[in-house]
Amino acid sequence: MNHQSRRAETTPIPTDVDARRDPVVELDDLSVAFGSGSDEVEVVRGVSLRIERGQRVGLVGESGSGKSVTARAIMQLLPAPGRVSSGRVLIEGAVASPRGARRWRGTTVAMITQDPLSSLNPLVRIGAQMTEMLRHHRGLSRAQARAQALELLEAVGIPDPPRTFRQFPSVLSGGMRQRVALAIAISCRPRLLIADEPTTALDVTIQAQVLDLLEAMSAESESAVLLISHDLGVVANFCDTIVVMYAGRVVETGTTDQILDETAHPYTLALLASVPSMGGDLPERLASIPGSPPAPGVVTPGCPFAPRCPIAQDRCSREAPALVGPPGRSVACHAFGDASWPRPVSVGGAP
Amino acid sequence: MSDAALAVRGLTVHFRVRRGLVGSRVVRAVDGVDLALGPGETLGVAGESGSGKSTIARSLVHLTRPNGGTITLGETDVTSLRGAALRRYRRRMQMVYQDPYDSLDPRMTVRDAIGEALAVRGLSRDRRPGEVARLLSRVNLPDALAARYPGQLSGGQRQRVSIARALAVEPDVIICDEAVAALDVSIRAQVLNLLKDIQRDTGVAYLFISHDLSTLRFVADRVAIMYVGRVVEHGPSLELFAEPLHPYTRALIAAVPSVTARGTKRLHLAGEPPDPANPPTGCPFHPRCPEAIDECRRVRPELTVVGPGRSVACHVAVRSFRSPRSAAEPSR
Amino acid sequence: MISIPESEAAAVVGVGETAALAEPRLWRRALRSLAHDPVALLSVLFILLLVVVALFAPWIAPHNPLEQFPNGLSDVGAPVAPGARFWLGTDQAGRDVLSRLIYGARVSLLVGVVATGLASAIGVVVGTVAGYAGGIVDSVLMRVTDTVLSFPILLFCIALIAVTGPSTRNVVLVIAFAYWTYLARVVRSQVLSLKEREFVNAARTLGVRHATIVRRHVLPHLWPTIIVYGTLGIATSILIEASLSFLGIGVPLPQASWGEMISEGQQYFQTAPWLLVAPGVALILTVLAFNLAGDWLTDLMDPAEREGGR
Repeated sequence: MNHQSRRAETTPIPTDVDARRDPVVELDDLSVAFGSGSDEVEVVRGVSLRIERGQRVGLVGESGSGKSVTARAIMQLLPAPGRVSSGRVLIEGAVASPRGARRWRGTTVAMITQDPLSSLNPLVRIGAQMTEMLRHHRGLSRAQARAQALELLEAVGIPDPPRTFRQFPSVLSGGMRQRVALAIAISCRPRLLIADEPTTALDVTIQAQVLDLLEAMSAESESAVLLISHDLGVVANFCDTIVVMYAGRVVETGTTDQILDETAHPYTLALLASVPSMGGDLPERLASIPGSPPAPGVVTPGCPFAPRCPIAQDRCSREAPALVGPPGRSVACHAFGDASWPRPVSVGGAP
Repeated sequence: MSDAALAVRGLTVHFRVRRGLVGSRVVRAVDGVDLALGPGETLGVAGESGSGKSTIARSLVHLTRPNGGTITLGETDVTSLRGAALRRYRRRMQMVYQDPYDSLDPRMTVRDAIGEALAVRGLSRDRRPGEVARLLSRVNLPDALAARYPGQLSGGQRQRVSIARALAVEPDVIICDEAVAALDVSIRAQVLNLLKDIQRDTGVAYLFISHDLSTLRFVADRVAIMYVGRVVEHGPSLELFAEPLHPYTRALIAAVPSVTARGTKRLHLAGEPPDPANPPTGCPFHPRCPEAIDECRRVRPELTVVGPGRSVACHVAVRSFRSPRSAAEPSR
Repeated sequence: MISIPESEAAAVVGVGETAALAEPRLWRRALRSLAHDPVALLSVLFILLLVVVALFAPWIAPHNPLEQFPNGLSDVGAPVAPGARFWLGTDQAGRDVLSRLIYGARVSLLVGVVATGLASAIGVVVGTVAGYAGGIVDSVLMRVTDTVLSFPILLFCIALIAVTGPSTRNVVLVIAFAYWTYLARVVRSQVLSLKEREFVNAARTLGVRHATIVRRHVLPHLWPTIIVYGTLGIATSILIEASLSFLGIGVPLPQASWGEMISEGQQYFQTAPWLLVAPGVALILTVLAFNLAGDWLTDLMDPAEREGGR
């Protein structure tokens, strides 16, 4: 419980429901589809999510779970032929659309991705990219922007800011690029920073540095963070709230402690159990989830996890469970809260 | 040494890198590495990018020619084999690659991909379909997949096909170069279990290269930690992770994000690994090392045996072992 | 600005995968894309029409292309304008322009296809050997290619024909000799990147022979390139042939060829414009159709190359 008090110092999160702040971003039953007609493939299905000021939300899931598509839907940057097929995205209470995105993209909501090279222009020097952003969004003069850019580079731990200022993105190492991307993202003090697998391409020691930095920068600029990762370890160490996605749906949400200590969804449990631990006894075999996730767009009447679930009953393959629970804590599983549901013997290996 | 499946002595791989318009620099990607692997054993090699771990893999399977050192497979020195002699030995050491989307020819069916390996083994054409079916079931894939193209398989399925293809030539050693890194966690666990089962049944030895320490802890008997082309620590897996001796190993372990140790603030390593073309003097780790002493800046520490099966290349760690207190019983 | 991140790329690739599962055949995909691309459809139809016309020229052509009709010339000996008997009129020798055009298509297509086929064969062999072998072999082959490539193609052809003498065979040889370099270069760069693909490494590691690796893992991946460059090459070859014939060193007289017809026609442009317009339009449409078809094939083949990987 030690870390919770630590968190409380940096980002106060009101627990009282009535005192909840206005959300920075709200997803209201959002669905995203690729293609149309008979080729339509729905990759995100009915995701509702609320991110408040200063909150750190982790979005966890495997490939194809729809987590990155959700992020892109928030940014109104869905790659063609993707589109929001139903539901809506609210940015500070206003419905977001691709046309109006100019007003808030980069300022209210900023994003960093796994490969910062894709968001940095390879033909423009780092300094020019940063000052352009600062002058455009914050209306700084050329000299002010330069000073601010150097300051930001220093703040993200670039060893020689004036030198990096003159360099092109391609000469920087992966870790340095991610620092620069973070500096640019944070430069306009966004209310929400979406970090999509920001450390996946980095070595562990560099990953730790970048996560530390992300934590410090977001705390300083009071940005909320939506951290998207396949790695529960990364998310658990960074976020106060975790959202678990499977096959385009949210299957479990809760505080980090709830997700890890009172794990309710069999998928989350299995995910936790399938990561080999760094301490304790060595199991002969890892607990693994049989089978593989359904192909995107494959719609079954029941729970999408049912074919792989160790505690699935007949009902699970017939009827999709709704996401239920008290505010901030919800689970999409028929077994949740049902004391009479048959329990598995083996799934309990969560560390 | 004759009972070793694979023995590597002083392996050195240098690359020439062009710098500017004129002149070039030598990058010592791998700089005098010794490794030994017994039959049925798994040796883990860990390190960050640029540590040389993948270069070792590629020179072992003769995709990169080493500049120095010897590679012994069984009792044969295979270092400088060429042509037909090399081809005969190739099948004894196989590799499973990181990228399941690139390691299978997109224009060949699963049956043909495995069949190609069986042809190398010299299996007659009429016996191949049966063997393909056997290998597919060995990697827990349905026989129906044999007619598919890689584009019709998931990442986990492709990696299983790669494993089946490697097994098809009945190798002594399989090198797994980040073989599970690209897979989702739930699929990764399946493939790791599969690799362990195969080893138990066939006695194949694995050289398991990974940046992921928790995977290595699960799969490897012994682990070598690499930093800028050299092994800096080596020892039995569980011991090494429970009680790391090199400050770099400790930093690596501390950096692994873990759900169990969440919230505990740990000291994270500053700086980045040095440019292998221009490594620092003395111990290459000293600029990032929280424990560096003056000697570290001047003298490069050699890999020194400090206990049964354990060795470390660190002045500070070796010194503490030599001092009578800690040498008697390394406390937990 | 936007790229699909790794984790979700799989999801999007997955969408493609299901599509690939449903229709793995290139033919089906080609037909489907033609249905959405009227320009490509027209080009392909025009090429098909041209092929049919060239193949069945003796049955399609209304007259013998070489026959000089007594009523093919007016009283003052001028060519007859297009009309009921001669649909596209006659030329200065009283021959039927339409029939000559149809037989000319034969020459153009024959030269275009054979020259390009020959050029492709040379180009693929040189490019593959250079790219796969690397080292000194690569250097030598590429220096040769660069040297040939640095010749201005038309002047080069003129010079060669001047030495070898005009004949259809020589025209084909000369065009092939000039054009193979383009394919050699493209193929070489493709082979260089194929050589680094893990599945090629995997085959090497298995102990598969180099010749087998090239045949099994390298050449099949070159087909899209060969088809695309071949189509564009036919357009170029037809143009070169026409240019050579225009200069009078191409297909020997009296055989009909578009270049020769244009050359003759320009002299009578004031009095008999159909002599220039008919072969000119035929040439432009043909070259355009092959180029547009080539563009369409580029788009069609590209995803095919990516279907397995990323």
